[in-house]
Amino acid sequence: MILLIDTTKERLGKTTLDKWEETPKYKSNYEYINASELNISHCLGCNFCWLKTPGECVVKDDYEPILKKISVADQVWLITDTKFGFVSYRTKNIVDRVMPLVTMNIHFVKKQMRHVPRYKKNPDWGVIYTSEGDKDYLSKWCERVAINFAGKSLGAYGIDETWEAVKCMQ
Amino acid sequence: MHAIIINGSPRAEKYSNTEKIIDAFAEGLSEAGASSERYAIANKSNWEKTRTAYIDNEEIIIALPLYVESIPGVLLEFLETLPVKDTNTRISFILQGGFAEASQLECGVEFLKKLPSYLGVSYGGTLIKGDNFGIRVVKEEDVIKLTGPYKEMGKTFVKENGFKEETVKRFAGPEIFPFYMRVMLSIMFKTFAKKKYAEVANEWGSKRTIDYKPWV
Repeated sequence: MILLIDTTKERLGKTTLDKWEETPKYKSNYEYINASELNISHCLGCNFCWLKTPGECVVKDDYEPILKKISVADQVWLITDTKFGFVSYRTKNIVDRVMPLVTMNIHFVKKQMRHVPRYKKNPDWGVIYTSEGDKDYLSKWCERVAINFAGKSLGAYGIDETWEAVKCMQ
Repeated sequence: MHAIIINGSPRAEKYSNTEKIIDAFAEGLSEAGASSERYAIANKSNWEKTRTAYIDNEEIIIALPLYVESIPGVLLEFLETLPVKDTNTRISFILQGGFAEASQLECGVEFLKKLPSYLGVSYGGTLIKGDNFGIRVVKEEDVIKLTGPYKEMGKTFVKENGFKEETVKRFAGPEIFPFYMRVMLSIMFKTFAKKKYAEVANEWGSKRTIDYKPWV
């Protein structure tokens, strides 16, 4: 399943979907989440998801259903506005709260010191950004996010390069 | 020098490792003859006065934990509310993280280097150091062992007028540990560390194992 998490007010992820649906070849299974209208807190940094209620965030808002979907997705695409060249705080909050999917335990994976993933399945990560995103930084960050959560990076694409992103969605 | 120190951690101050790092750092500033005022953004009711302090002062230090390879979402939200100022204002950063190897903080540093230009202000450098997770779980009297080095850095910040590259590099420790150290750590992760985390979970009242899977 390909998961599209859209935090833009204009629901710009819809553009991606339209492009997708025009192309029968790419009609695999996807889910679209319009996260801009959901109530999603930032991560409080309490560490409870590692040490008190392992695997579960204690903040009960609209986030848990999203995290459940991330845990079974093949790909996660973050569709986001940008600020300071980076993703919006709404998108960053969603990524900061992925932590319950890894455990407190640590191991080395090739050159990286990492938290041990909680589940066997871990998605690949991509970013589709609007306006003045810093492509180099977003690409690098996306690589690092993927390393953190035991997946691969699918890259960072400006909204006008959506087609390039769609080509990866299979 | 009069510095405004902002704790950019989302965690409540009482439990914040960053806050304890600031305690030591501010002591160093004071010993070197500088004064400081402290703010924290974890509670949104403090945002207005923190913003006012940012607007009215020129020496700003933001201390923060690394959150998924960059700055915490809530700090990003706070920063979006700041007005653009000019280069008479300088922002410096203290970036800390859990993983011990300095290379883990690089992606965060890259963002922080560029951030001041978006706010129109100048950049005073970023002090980095990992291996700080323990501050929260060690005994209170042992906290100083972990935060002590930051006191020296407080003095150095005044003496060198900012965080200079050489100092930052020395303080950060190795980018990547040598091979033998990695082998040793690898064994430690699977034995001592694993046991220690399970103990902490138990102390915190967890009824689950660390690798519990609620959704399978």
